[in-house]
Amino acid sequence: MKAAVKNHIVVPHQTERRFYGHGIPGVDLEQLAGKLIVVEGADGSGRSTQIAKLVEWLEGTGHATVQVGLKRSTLVSEELERAQEGNILSRTTFSLFYATDFADQLENIILPALKAGFVVLADRYIYTLMARDLVRGMDETWLKNLYGIALEPDAVFYLNVPPEELVQRTFAKNAALDYWESGMDLGLSRDLFDSFMKYQITMQKTFRRLQTTYGFTIVDGLRSADAINEDLQKKTGAVLAGK
Amino acid sequence: MKTFAELNFPGRLIAVEGLDGSGKSTQIYLLKRWLELQGLKVYFSEWNSSELVKAATSKGKKRELLTPTTFSLIHATDFADRYERHLVPLLRAGYIVLCDRYIFTAFARDVVRGCPPEWVRGLYNFAALPDLTFFFKSDLEVSLKRILDGRPQLKYFEAGMDLRLSPDPYESFRIFQGRILEQYLAMSTEFGFLVIDANQLIEQQQAVVRELVTQRLRLMDFRRAERPPPKPPAETHKKSKEEVSAP
Repeated sequence: MKAAVKNHIVVPHQTERRFYGHGIPGVDLEQLAGKLIVVEGADGSGRSTQIAKLVEWLEGTGHATVQVGLKRSTLVSEELERAQEGNILSRTTFSLFYATDFADQLENIILPALKAGFVVLADRYIYTLMARDLVRGMDETWLKNLYGIALEPDAVFYLNVPPEELVQRTFAKNAALDYWESGMDLGLSRDLFDSFMKYQITMQKTFRRLQTTYGFTIVDGLRSADAINEDLQKKTGAVLAGK
Repeated sequence: MKTFAELNFPGRLIAVEGLDGSGKSTQIYLLKRWLELQGLKVYFSEWNSSELVKAATSKGKKRELLTPTTFSLIHATDFADRYERHLVPLLRAGYIVLCDRYIFTAFARDVVRGCPPEWVRGLYNFAALPDLTFFFKSDLEVSLKRILDGRPQLKYFEAGMDLRLSPDPYESFRIFQGRILEQYLAMSTEFGFLVIDANQLIEQQQAVVRELVTQRLRLMDFRRAERPPPKPPAETHKKSKEEVSAP
């Protein structure tokens, strides 16, 4: 499907916006003309491939895009990276540090871009952060208050890939499992492979639970990249058209 | 929210709060010395001092990157790091933990900066309340004078310049501090602050602080374990306690 050759550009339809909770002080929601599209899923679920394809399609169809992701803020990304390497953060600290990173990008990139009418593509959003913390025993009410600063996205696509397949994809790419993506800090198993499987299963369960609250779209991530993207384009197109 | 005593911690947490320039740091330092010289287990922790978060905070401040929300979150991160890594384990081990500023500083400052009060309080609800909170209540003009006489170069966030209260840092600082004072006063009854008249002389204030601590804590319970037989250094400890405690 080559949408780029078409010359009909859809002007995004304005829909009502809201924050999940208290939000960010002083933001006029009505001014946020752009669209916020979130892609969620484990490492190896194909998030970055799908986002790259979506960007190409969006730009081809006349939409300006901006990308954000976890641990990319100017404010704390380096420090967060360093702290994570040393594995010295306790869980509340860890959680708040990530929330700071998220808030910095929300206020300095996401909100200004939406105000300027961009389509913002987020490689993960508060759901991954909440799921990680919930799996580590953090209080759900506390997390909901914390992430009440977040803007409700126009669409959230969760790429669902079973752990057995994630492990194969990770090995095909890196030949090593990541400490954090294996949830090794949780002490589920001293065996990295076992821990990875257990952790990913728990994370998927948590995501399914969050899905009932936040209503994101579960996308079958086992299909070919193009088939998935066609699906995402159709859904994103509907969002832009205000359907 | 409960205090550490109510949560059956063997340790106790004493916090001091007050405006910049209220003299609270001097007072908590003197309290710390007095307790240490009695041979008690004491630990001191300062607001915004976690090694881990410091680099990010100072970068944010220097480059003026912080918004009210990230300002609040980065200080909460700093607090959580100190709380989970130092305060809680030491309180479990029966220490008297002295905090120069505690969650009330965030409650006051972040709300003045425009963060929703319930959101800020929610952020910190993982923390227990101090067993004693001293509030050093000074006249606004006295605190302002102490700060403005000492360090004429006011920092951007310290002066509340991010709030656009006034283009003049001194005027901005005055308005900002005035609003923080209002927040503190509004919390005073709710959290049972022990209010100390910070317009008094240092020694007068310290005498009141020591008196209140003696009344409220069984200081004997916080003695360092005596090292078994050889020389008993208890005598010298007692002496120094008497010397220092007489104001």
